[in-house]
Amino acid sequence: MQSRILALGACALTLLATTSIAGAQTIRIAEHRQARIDALNTVVPAIEESLGIEIEVIEYPAPERDYLTRLLTELRAGNAPDLFTAPRGQDVADMVASGYLAPITPDIQAWTDYDQLFDVAVELVTSYDGEIYVLPQMLNVQQIYFRRDILEEHGISTEQPATWADLLDRAREIREVTGAYALLFPSGVTWGGGAFGEGFQYLMAGTPTPELAGEDGTLNLRTDGVRDALNFYADLINDDLMPVQPLLGPEPWVIPKYEMFPAGELVATTCGSWCYIYDWGPESRNPIPDVTQAVGTWAMPGQDGGVHVMVDIDSPWAVNADSAELELATQVLFEIGSVEAAVAYAERLGNIPARRDAADNPDFQALTALVPVHANVENGTFLRTAPGFSVLAEGVARATDALLRQETDADGAHEILVEYVVNFLGDDAVN
Amino acid sequence: MKHRRRTAAWQLNLLLFPSALILALFIIYPALYSVYMSFTNEALVGPSARNPSLVGFRNYLRLFGDAEFWNALYVTLVFVVGSAIIGQFVLGLASALALTRRIRFRSLFSVFILLPNAAPEVVAGFMWISMLAGGDNATLSRIVMFFGITPPDWLQVFPLWMIIIVNTWRGIATAMILLSAGLSTIPQDVLEAARIDGARPFQIFRRITLPLMLPTIVLYMLISAVSTIAVFGLIYTLTRGGPGGATELVSIYIYNQSFTAFQLGYGAAVSVIVLLISMAIGIAYVRMMAVKV
Repeated sequence: MQSRILALGACALTLLATTSIAGAQTIRIAEHRQARIDALNTVVPAIEESLGIEIEVIEYPAPERDYLTRLLTELRAGNAPDLFTAPRGQDVADMVASGYLAPITPDIQAWTDYDQLFDVAVELVTSYDGEIYVLPQMLNVQQIYFRRDILEEHGISTEQPATWADLLDRAREIREVTGAYALLFPSGVTWGGGAFGEGFQYLMAGTPTPELAGEDGTLNLRTDGVRDALNFYADLINDDLMPVQPLLGPEPWVIPKYEMFPAGELVATTCGSWCYIYDWGPESRNPIPDVTQAVGTWAMPGQDGGVHVMVDIDSPWAVNADSAELELATQVLFEIGSVEAAVAYAERLGNIPARRDAADNPDFQALTALVPVHANVENGTFLRTAPGFSVLAEGVARATDALLRQETDADGAHEILVEYVVNFLGDDAVN
Repeated sequence: MKHRRRTAAWQLNLLLFPSALILALFIIYPALYSVYMSFTNEALVGPSARNPSLVGFRNYLRLFGDAEFWNALYVTLVFVVGSAIIGQFVLGLASALALTRRIRFRSLFSVFILLPNAAPEVVAGFMWISMLAGGDNATLSRIVMFFGITPPDWLQVFPLWMIIIVNTWRGIATAMILLSAGLSTIPQDVLEAARIDGARPFQIFRRITLPLMLPTIVLYMLISAVSTIAVFGLIYTLTRGGPGGATELVSIYIYNQSFTAFQLGYGAAVSVIVLLISMAIGIAYVRMMAVKV
């Protein structure tokens, strides 16, 4: 009898506990990479308290490619978390076209902090259909980073190169004088979306035909600009200015970015403000001492002149269109857009908050490498995106991979790119 | 009597039902769905993720003209022949033969052979990364540097050889177990008679052991070839199919098309072709050797 009473008591307690847990609504958030998870966890308790909810942070695979694969598979299956990020700005248009993202246009325009968003951030998140589907929490600002200390040591000019030809000449001089690899443009299949986002778009933005997304929803790929951009890669590879072998391996960024550049075996590379913090700065496993002095930046020169710095939304946040808690998830979304959250991410990853008022935050002011970039973020250039960009990015990866393996020249790589996109999107999708 | 037979049949069907249900749900239905999907432009992302449509034989036409697909088939062929047919079979048979003898440390030897199978595929992959990747920091590089030899970047210079070695290492135990079972079926009196007649060990092996083991060998070859075509985790962890497609087995090619390029329809078309190839191998093995499996 006593044991029955005890058992009943235990059941009642369990039921009570379950009921109290079930009482609070739970929002599931997908996040990946330890630094990002740490940043998110700094603001989760405050969001839970402010909205009276529970937040479950689900850890996804760290490599962006694996993260995106798992996320898309779950979105397709209808069991993805309520909130997540698109790894790159170039992924958003296709996710919108897939119907995975809930539109937030009226919500974001009614958001009290909407006016604090940089104009460029709002432009970047405005989709091809005029709607907004993602919140621009962070921006990345990309240009060319070079080892100023090494160039000065060898008496090589650190002046801003004026054209592509000028940049290539500087690269040849670096290779000849220092013996180190001169310039890295991420490329190849294993770099995934980075071949486009961290390389190809720099070049395209500097051609006379920069826009890849046509007004009529087609992709402008049969242009001289695309061929010339691929020819730039071919020059880097054929003249042995870029380390090729590491780019053919499974994690191509590890050796050139985290080992060769800090060791001075690679002198210049495309990168973003994150490199000052995450790749070679305080959050790096292989930091460069006094990184902001040792490493300088060049804007990307245009093909025939002019310079530009690329700006893009970094891992923009979105609400799952199939979320059972759409309204609540949208509220959490805007909490993640707070200054505190943005600064937490900036501290750990080195990207730039997409809000003007982050400049007034004392913690952000302490990130001295990022403050001037934040102040100039409106001057950045970007390419408009459109559905089909994930296929385009993969096509660029394949075309540059063929160049890395020296299987073809720029014309052949151009053909590979166009053929790949046509195969998946149809001939009508390509101009 | 008739009633008893009917009851027995009913009971048999009842016992088979769970397995049949699982097979239908998780093998047959997905396989049929893959065939259907291979005729669509279904994708994980993009407009065709929302509205996939039938595209007829477009995926198959593209596939036959795709140099990367043919490269994947070639790499798979070399990998299967190198690791399953030659590596695992030869070393598995040698181990099985060694274990039939009274050798010292026999148990320890068995443990060493079986150990690679104890580690999950991905763990084994990461272990081999520490052996082979990282330039001079790789364990194998340090070993050869100890002898004054400049090491190559193993996974860049000899990628296909390396994955053949790794898969051979991992599969010896399975080969050994299956072939040991085959060896144990050979009647001892036949071997004894041969020895009395003055046959040398190699003659006994060639004229008695091998022919009597043929059914087991054929079965092993069938299982091994088909399962090696499907090897994924070990190679994906090690090389992801690189460098430049040098280790892109069809399994990895299917993954890359479906989950990296997000083209499910095309990936399904490749899967269907690989399924047909695997079935053809199975049928050819059984028919050519005229063995009941």
